[in-house]
Amino acid sequence: MNTKSYFFKSFAIVALAFFAFIGFKQVLPNKIFSDSKVDSKNVLIDSLLLESVAKDSLSLKSDSIEESERRLGQQKIVYDASQGIEFPSETFDNYKGYQYLISFYEKLYQLEQNPQNHVRIAYYGDSMTDGDLIVQDVRMNYQERFGGNGVGFVSIISESSASRGSVKTLFSKNWKIQSYLNVKRPISPFGVNGHVFFANDKTNATWVQYEAGLNKYSTSLNNPTLFYGKASKKGNVDFIIGKDTLHKSLTPNNLVNSLKVTSGSVKSFKANFIHADSIPIYGFNFDNGSGIHVDNFSQRGNSGLPISMFDANVMQAFNNNLKYDLIILHYGTNVLNYGTKNYFWYEKGMTKTVNKIKESFPGVSILIVSTADKSTKYDLEMKTDSAVVPLMKAQKKYALETESGFVNLYTLMGGDGSMVKWVDESPAKANKDYTHFNQRGAKAIGNLLYSQLNQGYEQYKVLREKREAGVKPKAIRKPKADSVSVKKDSVNE
Amino acid sequence: MTTLDNINNWFIQNFGAITIEQVKGWFIYNPDEKLLFNTGLFLGLFLVFYFVYGFLRKTFYLRLTYVILFSLFFYYKSSGVYFLLLLLSSVVDYGLSQIIYKETKDSTRKIYLVISVILNLGLLGYFKYMNFMIGTYNDMFNGHFKFHDIFLPVGISFYTFQSMSYIIEIYREEIKPTKNYIEYLFFVSFFPQLVAGPIVRAKDFLPQIYQKLNLTRQDVNNGLFLIIGGLIKKTVISNYISVNFVDRVFDTPMNYTSFENLMASYGYAIQIYCDFSGYSDMAIGIALLLGFKLPANFRTPYKSTSITDFWRRWHISLSTWLKDFLYISIGGNREGSFAGFLFPSLFFFGLLLWGITSYNTSIIPLIIAFSSIALFCLSFLLSSKRKQTLVTNFNLFTTMLLGGLWHGAGAQFIVWGALHGLALAVHKIFMEFFPSKKEGSNFLWRFFSIVITFHFVVFCWIFFRARDFETALQVINNIGQLTFEPENWKAIIIGYKNVFGLMLFGYVWHFLPETFTNGMKSVFDKTPILVKAIILGFVYWIVYATAVAGSQPFIYFQF
Repeated sequence: MNTKSYFFKSFAIVALAFFAFIGFKQVLPNKIFSDSKVDSKNVLIDSLLLESVAKDSLSLKSDSIEESERRLGQQKIVYDASQGIEFPSETFDNYKGYQYLISFYEKLYQLEQNPQNHVRIAYYGDSMTDGDLIVQDVRMNYQERFGGNGVGFVSIISESSASRGSVKTLFSKNWKIQSYLNVKRPISPFGVNGHVFFANDKTNATWVQYEAGLNKYSTSLNNPTLFYGKASKKGNVDFIIGKDTLHKSLTPNNLVNSLKVTSGSVKSFKANFIHADSIPIYGFNFDNGSGIHVDNFSQRGNSGLPISMFDANVMQAFNNNLKYDLIILHYGTNVLNYGTKNYFWYEKGMTKTVNKIKESFPGVSILIVSTADKSTKYDLEMKTDSAVVPLMKAQKKYALETESGFVNLYTLMGGDGSMVKWVDESPAKANKDYTHFNQRGAKAIGNLLYSQLNQGYEQYKVLREKREAGVKPKAIRKPKADSVSVKKDSVNE
Repeated sequence: MTTLDNINNWFIQNFGAITIEQVKGWFIYNPDEKLLFNTGLFLGLFLVFYFVYGFLRKTFYLRLTYVILFSLFFYYKSSGVYFLLLLLSSVVDYGLSQIIYKETKDSTRKIYLVISVILNLGLLGYFKYMNFMIGTYNDMFNGHFKFHDIFLPVGISFYTFQSMSYIIEIYREEIKPTKNYIEYLFFVSFFPQLVAGPIVRAKDFLPQIYQKLNLTRQDVNNGLFLIIGGLIKKTVISNYISVNFVDRVFDTPMNYTSFENLMASYGYAIQIYCDFSGYSDMAIGIALLLGFKLPANFRTPYKSTSITDFWRRWHISLSTWLKDFLYISIGGNREGSFAGFLFPSLFFFGLLLWGITSYNTSIIPLIIAFSSIALFCLSFLLSSKRKQTLVTNFNLFTTMLLGGLWHGAGAQFIVWGALHGLALAVHKIFMEFFPSKKEGSNFLWRFFSIVITFHFVVFCWIFFRARDFETALQVINNIGQLTFEPENWKAIIIGYKNVFGLMLFGYVWHFLPETFTNGMKSVFDKTPILVKAIILGFVYWIVYATAVAGSQPFIYFQF
């Protein structure tokens, strides 16, 4: 055997293969696996979003948008004083809109002066806040500072019940569920959580059981209260706490009715619904009545658009009971994957959503949280998806136009390329889908969010003090004495 | 001039313009871009290296030095300045081995051996296990020691074991030391197996250094065939299914359905096999192209009919290393030793402690603790040669515990090793009771054994893969709630059709009868050089096209 030359034959094969590769690369398609669209029948995605995208597919993006965008970025946003308070002007690029959170900040201030007050936040989100991720950290930060116990309003069940650690849910499999995600005309209107549940199995018991989680400030279920809607027929429910069973009847006379399970706090209880087949059931509220409470209304696959279908009367009824001071809308993840970079349709749709919120919760402050960074593979590298920045800008636009506060999650987490860092970091802070945060990352995001909100609050307090000082122009600079007078003044405001 | 421009244009079209920055990047350590066999950069560097290597084939020291320099560069590209650590430890090991060889007094030889073992394991321990130990200590005694900021040099577990085999074999007088340091460094730093094995034994490798360098047509055929298989396994199957499916499910198992959890577990089993064996195959193939034969590392392990069989087919170079240097050193099946009893006792004590402390929340841990202790005890109490089996099982269990820990610093790796250790003991006693059920007796029994063994192995992989113990239990619990819903399964399979297609391909390939793969191999052998090059080029393209494939967007199913 000719061994001498085989090295070079071997080399020749490897080298020729290299040229063959170049050839193949030119002839064959670029990608081996098509990025296939999934049949949406079994996939959680909201139907309004699909419709809007379909409608929008004809519109084209023009170059002039970019130019006008740049001008917009530098534009000064000057606020009119509201309640005598005027936050400093800011540019569109750095828009935070604290000015529009004044009523919320004032309520926080009142709470700080009088711990018996209460403040309530509703946090609407998509899969990013599934399992109480992010929201539980915002809640914990707020309760740490302002007091309050309990996880807030909890839907009967959700897809993420199993992964939620802040309250554990067990349930029978026979609940009938309607979600605003994919149902346009529900049997009964949706609740504040965007869902409505029915216990209409006539042969088997329909039940749900809650157990307090281990999170600080929510280690027990405080004043558990059932919320249900209007129906023509009455029903019954059994609450089982330990070895005791409490029989209660459901009288569905009003748009929204509440029924206290028990006063005080319990570790766990079970609710067994009997002959309640036509009554819309929404969920349970857990709060100790004072301090701050944050409700997590997360829904996988949600773009935020379905909120515009809320029944304002029902929401007002919820609001009379729960009294919201701030509504957070954290969406975007689900509108990134449609190959479009023109988000005008989304701007329009979300403006409707925000207006519906205003109609449903009169006088409430609204905060828009933008999409986080998300990466996609371009050639061989994972980079920030090209749709992220356009979407974030669109979100900022409707935040400004609807007079809502704004948290730019994309820049807050580090801006361009930050998701790749969060995934690759050790220990990792985000999942390998380059979209969702894990526990650790969600905690970081929750803290970032809270600290931006809190920054606004601290600034508000300074401005408020100045206002009070302004009332008595000749007052000697003595901040402490001033703030005492503030207390007295503002109680009856 | 026009032709030159043409070439230039063609080049830019295909590769893009090359800047000085880029060229620098090829030669400078970048922690984010390791020099793996399946990268374009490696291919380019290897082509240049290999061309010169061919001319040096008749020289000896020049060739060795040339390969050493490339190996050190290769290691520098993966671990930066830590290539100095490789050099340093090789100098120390070489020195100690010379002393052991020359020393005649047994006790002195032993002292030097112990020193070298402590040094090697000490280095490995510091880099790999320091933070794990600090964390465990802090957890157990409420300590507040700070974690060290330690970089884990790539392949340290592999080359440490390789240098240890050299010294121990010299101590056992199984080999003679190399004539000088260069030859030794060549053995330790040989780049094909440097960072991910196979763990080459001195007695298999050193003789090859001294042989006249020879490369036959058959060697090249074998090498290319291994490289092609390895590339497909590692870059196409393993990488794609891990990024697009398995990693996501294991990140947050509770966000996925039971069926997805189950499929992710099967997916991980084929992923880790393809990843590990694919890389090994490429290493063996590249070594073959250089004229060196490394031992096979995997023999279709999921075809095993028992767990004992599995360990003869899975990561063979590690299991034989552990058998020869750990299992036999602590007594093997002959006698008990302190170390052989210490680790299993510590493990079972820890298990019992876990059971007792979590008794308030659940009784299950305590049941698990007691039943595994009972199972382990029964495995030798039921034996007719009780004493010998006791010693064997303790030593075996120690080997599996430490073998588990070798794979990574974490409790879940210990649990993984323990599960395998228990299963080996159980299989042994089973064989004693039913000696007739030898492998291959009848088809149905064989099929049944393969299915059982495979599922046990998959179950253990869950612990191996999960981030922590809790996540592993979540995956298992979730799978436990699986119900038969073929319609939903179909929707999920369609949603992830690329991933499941690749998984199926991986498993079919794995379970193909040997005659079939041998047939493919002999067809490949007969093809002319040009066709081989085209096949290899096509595989390059597949690797490239998979690498640029966008990641699948996340999907949440609702049923």
